[in-house]
Amino acid sequence: MKFIGFVIVCLTGGLLLYGTVDLPDWGDPASPASTHLSDYYIEHIVEQTQVPNLVTAVLADYRGYDTMFETAVVFCAGLACFLLLRDFRPKKDRYFRHVPTGVMLHFKNPDTRLVAGNEFEHMDKDWVPSDMIIKTVCRILIPFIQIYALYVVAHGDFSPGGGFQGGVIFGSSLILMAISYNLKTLVKRVTEKFLSIFAALGVLIYVGLGFLAMIMGGHFLDYGMLAPLLPSDPGHIRALGMLGVEIGVGIAVMAVMVIIYMNIVSEGRHDEGL
Amino acid sequence: MNNMPAILVLAPLLGAFFAGLAAWIQKQLSYYIALAALAVSCVAAVSVLADVITSGTMQYRMAGWAPPMGIELRIDLLNAMVLVLISVIAFVNLVASVQNVAREIPDRAPSFYVMYLLFVVGLTGVTATGDLFNLYVLIEITSLTSYALIALGDKDRAPLAALNYIFIGVIGASFYLLGVGYLYITTGSLNMADVAVILTGIQGSTAVLTAFILCILGVWIKMALFPLHVWLPNAYAFAPVGFARVVAPLMTKVMVYVMVRLMVTVFGMEYIFETLHLADAVVWLAVIAILAGAFTALFQKDLKKMLAYIIVCEIGYMVGGAWLGNTLGMTGAILHILNDGLMTFALFLALGNIIYMRRQTVFSDLSGLFAAMPWTMAGFVLAGLSIIGVPPTCGFFSKWYLVLGAFEAGAYHFAAALIISSLVCAVLFFKVFEICFFAPAPGAQGHHVPGNPQPPHDIHTAGNLQPSHGHHAAGHAGAVVMAEAPVSMLAALGLVSASIIAAGVYAGTIVDTIILPFLQ
Repeated sequence: MKFIGFVIVCLTGGLLLYGTVDLPDWGDPASPASTHLSDYYIEHIVEQTQVPNLVTAVLADYRGYDTMFETAVVFCAGLACFLLLRDFRPKKDRYFRHVPTGVMLHFKNPDTRLVAGNEFEHMDKDWVPSDMIIKTVCRILIPFIQIYALYVVAHGDFSPGGGFQGGVIFGSSLILMAISYNLKTLVKRVTEKFLSIFAALGVLIYVGLGFLAMIMGGHFLDYGMLAPLLPSDPGHIRALGMLGVEIGVGIAVMAVMVIIYMNIVSEGRHDEGL
Repeated sequence: MNNMPAILVLAPLLGAFFAGLAAWIQKQLSYYIALAALAVSCVAAVSVLADVITSGTMQYRMAGWAPPMGIELRIDLLNAMVLVLISVIAFVNLVASVQNVAREIPDRAPSFYVMYLLFVVGLTGVTATGDLFNLYVLIEITSLTSYALIALGDKDRAPLAALNYIFIGVIGASFYLLGVGYLYITTGSLNMADVAVILTGIQGSTAVLTAFILCILGVWIKMALFPLHVWLPNAYAFAPVGFARVVAPLMTKVMVYVMVRLMVTVFGMEYIFETLHLADAVVWLAVIAILAGAFTALFQKDLKKMLAYIIVCEIGYMVGGAWLGNTLGMTGAILHILNDGLMTFALFLALGNIIYMRRQTVFSDLSGLFAAMPWTMAGFVLAGLSIIGVPPTCGFFSKWYLVLGAFEAGAYHFAAALIISSLVCAVLFFKVFEICFFAPAPGAQGHHVPGNPQPPHDIHTAGNLQPSHGHHAAGHAGAVVMAEAPVSMLAALGLVSASIIAAGVYAGTIVDTIILPFLQ
């Protein structure tokens, strides 16, 4: 079996090498890939869309239909994690920690109630107290990371960046919070319902803008048709449309990142996690 | 401007996110939103088909950009037909499967419907698009949703089956993507029509040959052609019924469509059959696929697995027909996309009804089914006869074109494989019929089948439908109580059975108005 696998790998590699014989040279300016469509894009994008970042223009406008489905793929990934991992069964054993002293209480009967004030908190068995230095540093860092994420989203059409990158940065700031404190601190602030709604809402912004253009009498995703709705310069409308879908992408990616993290680290239980 | 092509693909996408949001208000809402979205998609598909038949190929420019720059949807007769097939099957299945889903995935049904809609978006998108890379993105959506939904099935075995499917499916999709990469380097374009024009000038290039082999191999992995089929039987057998019913008839057929599209539209028949000399080898591969699928099905002890191997066998028909290199063979292959979609759907609908009532599909558990579920079994028998290829049903006509094509091409081995596999299918189905008809029912002393929580109103409704039949069945088997599936499931099965006959009766019309004009 291993031998057959080896033969197949060699054959595939041979095929790939054989295909490279007729490929244009590395970086050849006369190759079809850099002459057929690239010329058109380079010459017309700024004039047609007023977006200086050509990559963003191709991604979010000329091939915006692809990008919409890429966002849907991200949404699918999050939903798949929820579908397969989320575990709604109640836990049998429960642990409580007496906050001032750090003493742990173990309840074997799930029906037992703890009649005490805020002195006890629900805990995991192998809970490790979080480190004060890490907590403090993260507490200072997280807001700046989030501001930076918003900047990356907003500047997608002028400089490198965009919804996917900004969403990932924003999502990682939330994940950093879960790592430095614990997952429960995050779940308290950012609930599962909030994240699910935002994941769907983000893609819905993208799809909705597309349908809005269709209702306004254009093709699907034709941002130019949105001009009557906004009081700005009609020539700039395609750039604004791209900004709109980038925001949608950013929201969806941020929410899905956190959903995936939550479900994987806590095996779908949304308790302390790592 | 006609927005129907876009609505056809995107209504379920919009519906998916609304269904996801509505689940937080009221769980039941997401089902109705899914139903409405698919109904819109169905109507749009039918209207697109009517338009394409009367006024020719439709093009839809996404975001208003002209084709090689932007992405276009390009709908001709072939995809219009496949689109109608997809959207109708997806809609009918949603009506039929609501009870199965409620039983199998009670706590996360809304998420199931969201995923289901996204799966349908993927299939219709793959079929409607005129862009090679967009096709890949949508294959990704279809695959990702099907991995997740298959893993939701049987608690013990489905996750492993889905994992196998992921490993192999990702390899298939990557091969296709690599092929598109080679095509892009050599042509600089991703639009199918544009690539086709550029390719006519550089047919001798090794890069084009590599691209062709990679794309076709990728699609073959995705459609489970014989040596690449190992993921399919377990994945389809352990998937939840509500999803197996839609993935089994559609997924492989859409991939056959992609193969036909790549062959006819992108690379061109001349390139494949005159420049390359691969056709003979592929027809032999199809022969092996047909025989291997049919004979493996013969050794199965479980109805689900048996049907899964029949799918593997049917894939061989379509691949072989498409590679015969003549119009008759290609006609047969395309007609078989439609017919096999309907037949497989009917078989899986009946299978789902049996699972709903009996929970088991091992052959030894099927006894007494004709008496207990006469309507379901009537549909099953009809679909079985169609798979075998008995004349009034549609299965006969596509096989007829395939056999004629095989004789014209001189591929007698392919004709022989078709006939042998039909005989094997006959043996298979009559074996099942025999168990269901003659074997004594389990625990048959006037009681329900053990482990079957039969709600009383179901007996009542089914009895109302056809009281005389019910009495007859009860009298014949002595003690078997009729325990038929709920009415919505039976109605769906009846509709699909009727369409099997209709597709058979109107096979000539379909070939003359859709397939032959497309191939010219």
